[in-house]
Formats: sequence, C-alpha cells, structure tokens
Amino acid sequence: MQAAKKEEIFPKDPNKTYSLMAIVDGDSFQVEKGPEDTVQSWPHLMVRELGLFLLVLAVILGVSLLFNAPLEEAANPQHSTNPAKAPWYFVGIQELVSYSALLGGIVTPALIVVSLLLLPYLDRNPKGTGVWFSRDRRVATILFTIFVVAMVILILIGQFLRGPNWHLYLPWSN
Amino acid sequence: MSESAYSIKESIMQLPRNIKASISRRGEGTAEQERAAAVFGNMFLHVHPVRVHVNSLRAGYTFGLGLISFYLFLILVASGLLLMFYYTPSTELAYRNMKDLEYVVTFGVILRNVHRWSAHAMVAFVFLHMCRVFYTGSYKAPREFNWVIGVFLLLVTLFLSFTGYLLPWDQLAFWAVTVGSNIASYMPVLGDYVRFLMLGGNEVGQMALLRFYVLHVVALPLLAATLLGVHFWRIRKDGGLSRPSND
Repeated sequence: MQAAKKEEIFPKDPNKTYSLMAIVDGDSFQVEKGPEDTVQSWPHLMVRELGLFLLVLAVILGVSLLFNAPLEEAANPQHSTNPAKAPWYFVGIQELVSYSALLGGIVTPALIVVSLLLLPYLDRNPKGTGVWFSRDRRVATILFTIFVVAMVILILIGQFLRGPNWHLYLPWSN
Repeated sequence: MSESAYSIKESIMQLPRNIKASISRRGEGTAEQERAAAVFGNMFLHVHPVRVHVNSLRAGYTFGLGLISFYLFLILVASGLLLMFYYTPSTELAYRNMKDLEYVVTFGVILRNVHRWSAHAMVAFVFLHMCRVFYTGSYKAPREFNWVIGVFLLLVTLFLSFTGYLLPWDQLAFWAVTVGSNIASYMPVLGDYVRFLMLGGNEVGQMALLRFYVLHVVALPLLAATLLGVHFWRIRKDGGLSRPSND
C-alpha cells in the first residue's frame, strides 16, 4: 500500500485533540469500490470478457475437431429428399405449416415478431426489473415460458418425429 | 528539451518508449488513471464504461449470453472470410469447393466445421440471450428500443444462417432452402412475388445461389455489424445492464 510509507504523512497538529496512532496494512472496505458499487472495467470486466472469449473459441474448436459438418450428395433438383426439412430453427414453423400453410407459415411467425417488437411498449410496469423470474412478473414469465416451450416442442417434433411424407415416426424406427 | 534530445542516438535509445507512447497517446498517471485510460483510450474497448456496476459482472445474472453471441459472430466473420478464398457461388463449382475443403485444403474441414457449428450455436445463443433479457425484465424502460434492435438482430441472425445454409449446394442445402422459400410463398397475394424476389426465379438455381451468397457475405453481415454497434451503444446510453432498482 502506498499509504504505508516511512515518512510522517500525517504530521501531528497541536491544534487537534486527535492524532494518527498507526497505519494498518491491508484493504479497507472502500478499496476498489466506488460509491455506487462499481469497479474498474479494466481489469475486472476485461479479464472476464477475455476469459469468456477464450472459452468460446476453445469449445468451438473442440467441437469442430470432433464432429464434421454434414455434407450430403451434390444438389439434385430432379430428386427431392423425403422428407425435405428446413434448417432446425425453421422446422417448428414447417411443422405448423403442415397443419395450415397460411396460419402456420405466415400468420403465426408474423404474430410472434410483432408481439416481440411491441412487448416493451405493452408491458411497462417497472416492477421486478433486474431479477430472474421476479414474483412481480409472474404472468409475463408464465406466458413467455409457454411460448418458449411450444417453440421447442414444435422444433423437436419436426426435427426428430417426422419421417417420409411428413408422417409421424419414431426416431429409432427405420 | 535540448537539441541533443533529438539526436539520432537519443532517438534510437528512446525508440521503444516513443513507439509505445505514440500508440497509447498518454503519459504515465496514477494506477486509477492508468486503468481508466486503458478503457477509454482504446478504440476497441471504449464502448465500455470506465467503471461498471458489480451486478453486471455476476455470471449468474447474464450468463454471458449476449457476449457469447457476439464472440460467435466474430468467429463467424473470421472463419467466413477464410472460407471465401475457397468458395465460388456457382452451381457448377460450389459443391466441388466443399469437397476440396474436405480433402485438399489444409485444415479445410476444421475451417468449415468452425463456421458451421458457430452458426448453429449463434442462433441458439441469441435466442437464449433473448430469454435472459425477458426473464430479468430488462426490456423495461429505458431499454425498450434496445429490445427492438435485439429482435431485429435475432431476425438478421436467422437470415444469415438461412442464406448460408444454401451455399454448400448439397441435397441438404437445396431442399431445406426449397422448403424454407416455399413457406414465404404461402403469403396471401404477395407470396409468389416474394419468393421470386428471394430466389431470382421460380425455383432454387444459379440466381438463388448468387443472391443468397451476396446477402450472406456482404449485405447481412454489414447490417448485423451496424445493428450490433447500435445495440452496444444503447446499453451505455440506457445506463448499463439492468439491475434491481434498490441496490
């Protein structure tokens, strides 16, 4: 600590009734801590950010060494694959399309995007901000969870339970 | 400073220090000043505030999901740039380029794997990031508009991934994009026009490959980078990451 130097940094003042008795080595509660509970971005934030980047890079490299990206035969417009599936993130919509082209393919995705865009302007109560699953926002949490679970289930059905001609089949049956 | 300070000998002696000073543009200061300058004196770091709230550092609050999405974007830009050296957006050559990456190009398989898996991961992590922002109520005022930008970033991520899906020109790519673009044609009245605009024809072919390629390597990455810049800037302007009000 810089304060613990040899020279007398707090000279005794004869007009005062108190004096500095000793300097104790060590951190006080206020070291590295601003009045609003803040810390310096460098190094506290940056080191964490760098660490996370290295972790992400390592995981991606590890996965890439272990698993090869799929590559099927060359595209052949004359011969369609059966079933032909959209990329996994659109397979949920494809599943909906199999029930109704207009409702599942256009209306539902459009409704999802519009509701997401309007969400912060409709749900304006500031209660519960900054807390995971706040009790003050139980309805919002439940509604959003239903949306997420529905999306995941649709994707899982489309990706794993749909066989030739989009018929239901079990992944382990041929 | 005396004339001798400008002599060649002195200049050579001071070379490392002068180069360092010319890059960092600052002299020495107190530890606190140095740490602050490390952030705001750096072009790449200055989007950060000099000090951050401890809540922003809590791994259990953000899980780093937004940051992971951004890192995946960076990895995708870097690996995608390298892939561009080996790829031709032609129905004759695209698939052969894939085979070359697999069997001829040094580390070509790894390069393609990195790009492919990062792309899938980015879609997933952007979605998880959105879930985090929802469940912590972080879209509430004053962060409403940043949520809106985030929704557009999600859409751009999906389109980036979808346009990239066609480029290997294998059966998986061809029929997935055929199915995907057919969904657009279910739109009332405009449907077939939208699909024609997307594919440059009535079915997936050379024109579609070129359109998807240009969107994938130029238009959408530029849009994504711009929106990312606004997204990060708005975090600062809206007062940093959200946190409980009574801290």
